[in-house]
Amino acid sequence: MLIDWFTVIAQIINFLVLVYLLKRFLYGPIIRAMDEREKKIALSLERARKKKDEADLEAKDYRRKNREFDEHREEMFSQIKEEVEVRRTNLINKARDQVDADRTKWYEAIQREKEAFLQDLRHRAGKHTCVISRQVLKEMANVDLENQILHVFIEKLRSLNDDELKTLKESIRQSPQKISVRSAFVVPEKMTGEIIEVLQNQAASHVDVRFEISPDLICGIELKFSGHRISWNVADYLETLEESLLAALENKAEKNTEKEDGRG
Amino acid sequence: MHITPDTLIIFQWGSVSLNGTIFFTWCIMVLMVVGSWLITRKLSTETHLSKWQNLIEVLVTGIRDEIRDISSQDPGRYLSFVGTLFLFIAVSNLLGIVPGYVPPTGSFSTTAALAICVFVAIPFYGISQKGLSYLKQYIEPSMFMLPFNIIGEISRTFALAVRLFGNIMSGTIIAAILLSIAPLIFPVLMQILGLLIGLIQAYIFAILAMVYIAAATRVQRMKKETGRQNEKGELSDG
Repeated sequence: MLIDWFTVIAQIINFLVLVYLLKRFLYGPIIRAMDEREKKIALSLERARKKKDEADLEAKDYRRKNREFDEHREEMFSQIKEEVEVRRTNLINKARDQVDADRTKWYEAIQREKEAFLQDLRHRAGKHTCVISRQVLKEMANVDLENQILHVFIEKLRSLNDDELKTLKESIRQSPQKISVRSAFVVPEKMTGEIIEVLQNQAASHVDVRFEISPDLICGIELKFSGHRISWNVADYLETLEESLLAALENKAEKNTEKEDGRG
Repeated sequence: MHITPDTLIIFQWGSVSLNGTIFFTWCIMVLMVVGSWLITRKLSTETHLSKWQNLIEVLVTGIRDEIRDISSQDPGRYLSFVGTLFLFIAVSNLLGIVPGYVPPTGSFSTTAALAICVFVAIPFYGISQKGLSYLKQYIEPSMFMLPFNIIGEISRTFALAVRLFGNIMSGTIIAAILLSIAPLIFPVLMQILGLLIGLIQAYIFAILAMVYIAAATRVQRMKKETGRQNEKGELSDG
């Protein structure tokens, strides 16, 4: 007999036990592990998706910020340009003012130097003229220059015109003490007497004359009375010389300035 | 020589004897349970797996997919039964290459026991889903078909048992005969063929069992759908 019923029953029980044991030790744990892994993978995929979404959002935000920055950059650039332009204009104006001020200062300095030079020139010219004149007069006429000056002065007093005579007389009558003769050198006594005599003759009255020494006159002599003056001195000629020299120098300076302006 | 391991007495204690079928079945059970315990006690739920866990997972997933394909249902409730059928028969047959081992599936008692289990499982799953109304399908389409339906059930169960028994028993006997005729090379080839046949038989047994169970539960489902359609028809008529 191929079939043994005891074995059949035993095998049925064995099989059922095996089903239970395998369910307990094999299928259950394996399926749980697989489900858990699936969950984990799903979870990590979900996390990855969320992170991707976040990254997308961040990227979007970043792009927006970039765009805004680009837009603002144009604005900022134009603003900076304007500021720079204003600043540049200010600086240029400031520099121009500075240059103008410097030029003015320079002109003033030049002017002062010019004046100082002319002053100096005048003195030197006067002195040299006196020296030369004295020398020339001494050598030519064989007389002292001062004597010659005094002679010229006395001659001038003698040849006063009517108006001057009238003024002189008037002045002497009003204040006889105010007649003064100033000279750059000491007038010899003989000559003072002659001058007083000429004056008294001209004024037809007594005249009190006071003699004063004044180096300003530069080799000359003058008579002052109530605003009038009769004189002979080198200073007068030198003043004329100074005037003409100044005029000549200014002419030259103006011409130079015009030339510079023309170049500029 | 033993045609069936039932006749192979391993242990005798008075009137109680332990035959080869039960002994080797126990060996297989111990092997499978201890192996499962060893593999599943340190299961990884991460993406990195041990080789054994990977193997077991592939096996279990394969069985689940197969069940799902056949039954078009969730494989959870059938996995333990059908999976154990397949694994038990497969291990039992594959161990045939071990010298001195006689596969318990080469015993008609074992195959009959397994077939009886399937025979009981079919109405068990059917009833567990629908209740006792499942039994109505035995009198479909008419009462006269009841005996034929029952004969059909029994015969296919019997075929199940005989098919497995015949294949494994014949494989063992052919190997034994060939050993005496041509002791070199050829028995090895036959042994390899035997392994292939053993695996195929395990697959066929499990698949057929699943097909029968699926047929039982599917009939019930079709009925449900038909019932719903009828209800809808009545409502629309009304």
